[in-house]
Amino acid sequence: MAFQSRKKFCYFKENSITEVDYKDVKLLRRFITDQGKIMPRRVTGTSAKMHRKLVRAIKQARNIALMPYTNVSTEN
Amino acid sequence: MRYYESLYIVNPNYEQDRLDEVMKTVVDKIGEYTFSIINHRVWGKKRLAYAIQKHKYGTFVLLHFETESAENLNSFERFMVLQNPILRNQTVVLDARPEVHIEEAPVVAEVAEADEKVEAPKVESEITEEVVAEPVVEESETSNESSEEEPVVEEAPVEEESPAVEETTTEEVEEVKEEAVEEAVEPKETEEVQE
Repeated sequence: MAFQSRKKFCYFKENSITEVDYKDVKLLRRFITDQGKIMPRRVTGTSAKMHRKLVRAIKQARNIALMPYTNVSTEN
Repeated sequence: MRYYESLYIVNPNYEQDRLDEVMKTVVDKIGEYTFSIINHRVWGKKRLAYAIQKHKYGTFVLLHFETESAENLNSFERFMVLQNPILRNQTVVLDARPEVHIEEAPVVAEVAEADEKVEAPKVESEITEEVVAEPVVEESETSNESSEEEPVVEEAPVEEESPAVEETTTEEVEEVKEEAVEEAVEPKETEEVQE
């Protein structure tokens, strides 16, 4: 029995989103791990173009304290 | 013409008056640098993802402005960093002119609606509490009135009855005295019989 991987798709392309806003934390949270790390493209299936915008938005959100750099430090 | 969005976090302990003062100083500085403001509004008090200067919450203020030249942007950044009430600030370039904020604006509207939804039930609950509270007060008032009225009703009969009670008591006392005298006499007889 061979494991069949699910077909990956770009979330932004499916929902026809062209710009990523750093203030939209609800959207950005889909693309980070529980630890707060940015998930790689090979996991999320995001297109390269949108992944670059996504990464920039997440880093901007981290800078203004809307998103965590890491979830470990916040618990302490 | 380039458009910029500046989001800055103000100390959460600042009340509305002091917050307005901080926003006014920012507006005055922007006037000095000849930037023109498009939007300047409080985005809301939010929980920070990590503590800044030991503050877990922060009041976010959103500022949209436009300018022809980018000469004074560094000075503006420096000014924002040096403000003590401002915990953190970030200015980003926008591709297009942001819409002037009215009650219903794109991303802004969702937040505003969410706030309204949160606030709306509170107001209703306050009203219900008031409604609940009022009858209690009325009942207490009525109970006070009734309690005040009752003694008045009781007092009158007491005064009328009191002489009668005194008469009865005096009669009873006399009878009791007589009985006591008889008892006092009787024991002596019994004692004599025993001897």
